[in-house]
Amino acid sequence: MEVPPYRRTGIVELGELARLGLLPPERRLRRGPVAVLECPEMIPCNICVPYCPTKSIRMERLIDLPAVDWETCTGCGMCVAVCPGLAAFVVDLSKEDYDYVTVPHEFLPVPRVGDEVVLLSRRGERVGRGTVIRVWERNRTHVVTVRVPKGLGMEVRAVWVER
Amino acid sequence: MRREVTVVCRCNDVTREDILKAIEMGIDDFELLRKYLRLGFGPCQGRSCVMIAARIFARAKGKSVEEVLSNYRVRPPIVPVPAKYFARGLKP
Amino acid sequence: MTFRRGRRLTFTFEGSPLEAYEGETVAVALYAAGVSVLSWSSGLGRPRGLFCMIGKCSSCFMVVNGVPNVKTCREPVREGLAVERQRGWVPPADAAELGEVETRELETDLLVVGGGPAGLSAALEAAQQGLDVLVVDEHLRLGGQLLKQTHKFFGSVELFGGLRGFQIAGEYLKKLESNGRVRVLTQSAVYGAFRGGLVGVVGRDAHYVVKPRAVVGTPGASERYLDFANNDLPGVVGAGGVQTVMNELGVKPGERALVVGSGNVGLIISYQLLQAGVAVEAVVEILPEVGGWFVHAAKVRRYGIPILLRHTLKAVYGTEKVEEAEVVEVDEGFNPVPGSEKRFKVDLVLLAVGLEPDARLFAQCGAVMRWSPDLGGLVPLRTPGLETSVRNLYVAGDASGIEEATTAIIEGRVAALSAVSKLTEGSRAGRAAEEAERLNRFLWEEYRASPLLARARRGKQSVTVSEEEMEKVRALSPPPVSFG
Repeated sequence: MEVPPYRRTGIVELGELARLGLLPPERRLRRGPVAVLECPEMIPCNICVPYCPTKSIRMERLIDLPAVDWETCTGCGMCVAVCPGLAAFVVDLSKEDYDYVTVPHEFLPVPRVGDEVVLLSRRGERVGRGTVIRVWERNRTHVVTVRVPKGLGMEVRAVWVER
Repeated sequence: MRREVTVVCRCNDVTREDILKAIEMGIDDFELLRKYLRLGFGPCQGRSCVMIAARIFARAKGKSVEEVLSNYRVRPPIVPVPAKYFARGLKP
Repeated sequence: MTFRRGRRLTFTFEGSPLEAYEGETVAVALYAAGVSVLSWSSGLGRPRGLFCMIGKCSSCFMVVNGVPNVKTCREPVREGLAVERQRGWVPPADAAELGEVETRELETDLLVVGGGPAGLSAALEAAQQGLDVLVVDEHLRLGGQLLKQTHKFFGSVELFGGLRGFQIAGEYLKKLESNGRVRVLTQSAVYGAFRGGLVGVVGRDAHYVVKPRAVVGTPGASERYLDFANNDLPGVVGAGGVQTVMNELGVKPGERALVVGSGNVGLIISYQLLQAGVAVEAVVEILPEVGGWFVHAAKVRRYGIPILLRHTLKAVYGTEKVEEAEVVEVDEGFNPVPGSEKRFKVDLVLLAVGLEPDARLFAQCGAVMRWSPDLGGLVPLRTPGLETSVRNLYVAGDASGIEEATTAIIEGRVAALSAVSKLTEGSRAGRAAEEAERLNRFLWEEYRASPLLARARRGKQSVTVSEEEMEKVRALSPPPVSFG
């Protein structure tokens, strides 16, 4: 069996996410915040399903990949907070001037609203700086929404607070 | 700089060289090797060394680890027991 | 993560006073104070520091209040304790001088050996089904390796998914405490089982001889050691050992680290090191692909930690502790590629190169063992109800073959329910057998259907035989010990 490239790199490409049905369609991405679950392997886990307040994530079996109903998903970020794999994100590409990304954060210091933070890509590259616009917490995972330069919405997957 | 060694058994300071030398001397049975080098006879009771020694032995002798371990016996005590517990002799 | 520390106290190390916090072990208190050498080895006089941190190796043996060979990773630090380094293996003083230890006899329906995820779930299930349970564990408190797992677990709500490991242990402890049927012996270890179905336990202050009607063995696993030059230098530590220091006791383990092995343990520890403020230079993996699950790899990659595939650790250097690590690329046959060496200035090298089942209890009882590379080593042959060829001796958790904590929890329940079905009668026995079957169906047909668990599934299939087959095995290799 062929080894998928993400098993060599630890980085999943957008094409791979699309092939697995994990990428919201272009039209939906332009309409407002929506969940992107970067969960390409059949992990026996369904925690995002019961916690989704709009019941927008479905899994038949425990090991299935999550199937998001893009029409009912509001991009609230609950999946970002509860996903044990820290593999859930919310992106909002609907604004003219900026993109918005919501990422899980489990490092100190915890970013505060208004902070300027370093933006990290899936590869760990510093791709720019952004401004924190919302932070909330659930069981010690902080859910951080950050305003990022237009075009980086599908790139940024972590933030780093410089000490 | 201290001499470079690769330690297999941390309790009795048995090195990879010691194992390879013993094999050269003609020891071809893993249980014999264990008794000769006191591998697994220290206070950890073989919890860190036996498997790594078995792998080195297997590689050197061209055998499988399973074969090498086929007559590995585990005897009590399986954890170190302080001497005071033996003062009146263990009853079981 | 934040930590609540205990009261401050003072103890002495080689005559000088040092501060520590109540609740710490001697080894960790010394480590936090910057003491990296705990002893000098017996034959070659080499410096030794913390290694396994879970009481399985012998690197932390020191002289405490004049008593040699004290496992300091298991010894709570106390006010006024006098700790000294040990040179080599010190023979104990005259046994008579040390005093005698009282022997106590105990009876129980179910003895659970080990209080990790499998042991906790077995104990709770059996107690809820009406059995009297005795749990024996080596550590200061129950929970096993769950205590140092700060990451959230996968699974469903029913399987504790979304909770962090130490929170799962907490849930179990609460339930066990409120159940009057469970007795617990911590800082105690089973040293062997004997004819007549007696089990010997080295307790903290007493010697116990236990007569159980059944035993669920959940002794867990040991970390695999790796052979490279200077592999015994302080600063070379098992991944689990560092988790104890960092996550259970809240002590920063070093400044710059190299992690060897990209399985889930190596990836999770890399992320946790970063959380503790340690710079992780790289994760080194000898295979051409990442060993662990993608989501764990993605977590470390997005914070800039490189994963070096087809690389292995060649040597570490330093006088009294690790100062540098040398990594080399390997070819298809895993041979080092000359000239490909890279050096990293690090003070910590973490070995996360896999676990081996600690199945010596079963071997010592004479259970029929099987070698399974898929499961990490020697494991006991078992029935679907997890009974070994030694009657009324069950196995669950990593000792049954390396898998993960959630399957360990399920196996613990299966083993306990099988024991209940044999030790009780009537409708209770029937219901327990049905519930064990239901859990097994879920485990084998749903949970282990994930391709991520294919290897463990294959391994466990190869060491599971039907009740009828097990009877034939028992007839051919009658075990010297039996319970019940």
